[in-house]
Amino acid sequence: MTNPSLLVVLSAFLICCFSIPEAQAENVLFEAGKKIARAGTGKAGSIACMECHRLRGGGMPSIGSPRIAGQSAIYIAHEILGVQQGTRYAPMMAGVVRDLSRKDIQAVARYYASVRSPKVAEISPPDPALVEIGRSIAQKGLWKKNIPACVLCHGPDGRGIPPHFPYIAGQNKGYLLRQLLSFAFLKRKDDPQGLMRGIARRLTHEERKAVAEYFASLSPPPAAGKRAEVQGSHHP
Amino acid sequence: MKLLLRILILGLPFFLIPMSPPLSPAAKAEEPDFFQPPSDKEIPPGPFGDLVRRGERIFTKTGQFATRYVGNDLTCESCHLDRGRKPFAAPLWAAYVSYPRFRAKNHKVSRLGERIQGCFRFSMNGTPPPLHSETIRSLVAYAFWMSRGAPVGTHMKGGGMYRMPPSRLPPDPFHGKSVYTARCALCHGADGQGTVSGHDVAFPPVWGPRSYNKGAGLAKVAKLAGFIKMNMPLSKGDSLSDQEAWDVAAFIDRQSRPPDPRNAATP
Repeated sequence: MTNPSLLVVLSAFLICCFSIPEAQAENVLFEAGKKIARAGTGKAGSIACMECHRLRGGGMPSIGSPRIAGQSAIYIAHEILGVQQGTRYAPMMAGVVRDLSRKDIQAVARYYASVRSPKVAEISPPDPALVEIGRSIAQKGLWKKNIPACVLCHGPDGRGIPPHFPYIAGQNKGYLLRQLLSFAFLKRKDDPQGLMRGIARRLTHEERKAVAEYFASLSPPPAAGKRAEVQGSHHP
Repeated sequence: MKLLLRILILGLPFFLIPMSPPLSPAAKAEEPDFFQPPSDKEIPPGPFGDLVRRGERIFTKTGQFATRYVGNDLTCESCHLDRGRKPFAAPLWAAYVSYPRFRAKNHKVSRLGERIQGCFRFSMNGTPPPLHSETIRSLVAYAFWMSRGAPVGTHMKGGGMYRMPPSRLPPDPFHGKSVYTARCALCHGADGQGTVSGHDVAFPPVWGPRSYNKGAGLAKVAKLAGFIKMNMPLSKGDSLSDQEAWDVAAFIDRQSRPPDPRNAATP
């Protein structure tokens, strides 16, 4: 005699057995990450992430500190590891993340991937001429120089293709420009297969500024790959 | 002694030749000898320009603007890179001037519109739009626009797909798998099913139910190898060796994909 309702109860029980501890572990990780974001690890000289990235991950355009709210956890962890291992050029971050353990990295990555933040005001209004040049490069590419459209890898309108390709829409322009320069001339070499190094090198300086202006002028997605929710009913 | 001297003097230029720098490779790289299609800004206003722009929309967002004819996650631009402009990715400027042409696939002289119908049937695993439909008319107009000034009746450099030299060793799908994992999986996924950005397809699936079917051009190993060799990974075309391109094509060819609809049609 097989009782379907018994099966349902049994499977529900089994699912709970496995998923509740997992959810709890996620929660513990999130809280641990939040603590580091707010106050650092407690080790001597430790700096809290929020000093530059804000508690909700909005970043600080005034110093070119990136927005990281809703970036994929795998990407955030990969970048912190890159700074620790010296594959990502980051003179500021190098000291900050030096003492983070693997577990600390997982925790802050989980935390910042989960939080949401509105866009933080830019240092200056977008330059319309540069935005137009940037839009064309971002949406169509410069294939004559073997530069595909940015949105092919960074997702439609730069919303990101998680987990490996970060969102760049709504990122601050100081950060975007500095990263393009790091890829082109400095020692940022944590990009898979050197894809960004080649592209950043082939852009002219005006083109680098233009794409930075363009993506900074967009609204950021709530999380990597997600569409921004339309607020109000202005759009039919 | 005199003879030795004479040999030395006569031989001197031969030593010097390889030492002189190659003839300005930078200048050669800068000057592309591919056909240059007209720029977007030149698309005229009026009904013709509208048709061209509509064609481009269908071309880049096929699933959105030709929904009922598309049966998978691909767009025209998935293969015809740079909105149909990239040399060796079957650019439209070369396609337009090479039709009508005889095709061994169906043993007849096809027009471009009929050829595009084939794209929908095989590469998009969908339904061919009628020849007089707005979809085909717009795409033909888009190709016509792009071929402005292109020579007719001659082979255009960069037209079609790159023709691979025969592989030295038989293509090895097992080695191809490791090439795939190292160079392709980042974007197309370890399972070949592509990757998404939210609800939008970002990188196209390269096998499986949402990819091209077995009747498509890229379902031929040589054609796929030529496409990969010149175009993949994006921005790093021509970085795989010929053998790697053959191997990875053989690996992808071994995976499952929708059947050739011509086989299903025969009773």
